[in-house]
Amino acid sequence: MKPRLAVVFLKEIRDALRDRRTALMILVASVLTGPVTLILVASFVSGLEERASTLRVRIAGAEHAPALVNFLERADVEIEKAPADYLARVKEGSLDAVVVVPEDFHERWLAHEEARLELVHDDSRTESGPATRQAERLLAAFNRETAYLRLMARGVSPSLNESTKVERVNTATPRQRGAVLLFLIPMFGILAPLLGGMTVAIDSTAGERERGSLEPLLANPVPAWVFAVGKWLAAWASATAVVTLTMAGFLAAARLYAERKLPSLLNFGVPELAAFLAVIVPLAAFTSALQLLISTYGRSYREAQTYVSYLATVASFVPLVVLFSGAREQAWQLAVPVLGQMMVLQRVLRGDGLAWIDALVPAGVALVLAGIAVAAVARLLRDERIVFGRA
Amino acid sequence: MIRVESLAKRFGAVQAVRGVSFAAADGCVTGLLGPNGAGKTTTLRMISTLVAPDAGRIEIDGIDPAREPLAARERLGLLSDARGLYARLTARENIAYYGELRGLGRDRIDAAIDAIAPQLELGPLLDRRTDGFSQGERMKVAIARALVHDPRNVVLDEPTNGLDVRSTRSLREAIRLLRETGKCVLFSSHVMQEVAALCDEIVIVAGGCVVAAGTPGAIRERAACEDLEEAFVRLAGEPGDDR
Repeated sequence: MKPRLAVVFLKEIRDALRDRRTALMILVASVLTGPVTLILVASFVSGLEERASTLRVRIAGAEHAPALVNFLERADVEIEKAPADYLARVKEGSLDAVVVVPEDFHERWLAHEEARLELVHDDSRTESGPATRQAERLLAAFNRETAYLRLMARGVSPSLNESTKVERVNTATPRQRGAVLLFLIPMFGILAPLLGGMTVAIDSTAGERERGSLEPLLANPVPAWVFAVGKWLAAWASATAVVTLTMAGFLAAARLYAERKLPSLLNFGVPELAAFLAVIVPLAAFTSALQLLISTYGRSYREAQTYVSYLATVASFVPLVVLFSGAREQAWQLAVPVLGQMMVLQRVLRGDGLAWIDALVPAGVALVLAGIAVAAVARLLRDERIVFGRA
Repeated sequence: MIRVESLAKRFGAVQAVRGVSFAAADGCVTGLLGPNGAGKTTTLRMISTLVAPDAGRIEIDGIDPAREPLAARERLGLLSDARGLYARLTARENIAYYGELRGLGRDRIDAAIDAIAPQLELGPLLDRRTDGFSQGERMKVAIARALVHDPRNVVLDEPTNGLDVRSTRSLREAIRLLRETGKCVLFSSHVMQEVAALCDEIVIVAGGCVVAAGTPGAIRERAACEDLEEAFVRLAGEPGDDR
């Protein structure tokens, strides 16, 4: 004889596995979205780096600036003649930045007059940023060299011209730079259990009532908490399966694709996967319990679906709020579901050390809240207004 | 043995059941007869512990469901008003789930299904998913599910609803078989012929009250007419004392 809890759990799992919606959700939500997003992000990032790494400047009217051309050639910069319709092409985005040299440039330059250049670019295109900044840097370097030589010719020390010299020191390690971009992996990590637990939670409560199987089910000599816990465990298991698949998808994508392209940016290996699961699986316990509670309360399948999707929206707002409000990490945030997990996951990706307390507090809070929600479900299942529907 | 005393239940402004009392004996088929909205389903829900009565007492084989709901449910097989199945499970799996919930082992469940299936002509349906079953087919599975643990007391809420003539016949046979094995069968119906064909005892409810109870003969006598249907219409039309 199987324990009743196992009977309820196994029935819900079997039922869910035969549900085509489950299969579709697992395929779309976990196997496709994660890796596909990652690959898109990774190729976007590496694209930016590639654009900036080969030094190339497009010049219109290079013949009017032989000194500049000479400087660029010495600096090993590839010079490309800009097409005549460069303005239109910059606008449509097929050209990033064009240096435009007026006809009188060389004469004015030789005469030590102010010699103007134009740098044509489109600020609204983020992908043209690296090329524009590169052209700016090269022109500034040409400017510095000219000034340097002129000051030298007058017997003045060039350092007079530069009272302050700014040198950039970026403290972000390549890995940390990756984590800024891969804000997305924690985000998917948080959303995956919401997607994964949803179908089972709704189907085993609001669905159960809608198809008229709740009433006879509750007439069995089994305490209501056994049904609540069994259904919760099934939803949690489904959420955990989707989380694991999503994260494994990221791992596979990182291995197969990103490691070749972005070895330093994407450090998502087996230890990170394990840390992610350790953080998200307890969260999944809570989200599944909450979904179960909401769906038990929902009057119909549709209503439950609506409420549960509000929950997903709220949960996905939390990381965005953190990102855009620029809120600083504080200890109390660890105790807020989703917020705490987001914090810990970002630390994992940044390669920061994790104290035990950082991992245990969010997990503990999630499990306690899950327990409360499941107890509430058991209570609702004993409420005749819930079982037989309300007006 | 099911005994009910002065049962009452109010839903908001509606007094669904007001002082229903009757007894359903073992080895006997008791019919709860009444028009729609008479309080039959509410009464059966209170007996099966799904709804708590506002007043009154229930006894199932001497057990008070208010105090020991699980023990009371152990002794009941219920075909409730809602009789949904799990569409992605086969008929056999649907029945076996309830068997397992009642703590039966695999062998006992298989034996029970083998015993019930021929009575309800379930054989060819057993290993098909219940998705796409006709109303009658679903009903048969739901009845089999209610009987899988061989309960001493069987409560059936409108069991013949949606059944065709042939299925109704086989259900009647099954109910007679239950009576022969000494079970207490309590079923509700709003169809006079149904009750007349099966019942040893009839309890007529209307407006939440028992308006008449007794053998079919006694009921006919009380209504002073030969035809049972005519008797039903007369008695059910009689308002309760407090209406």
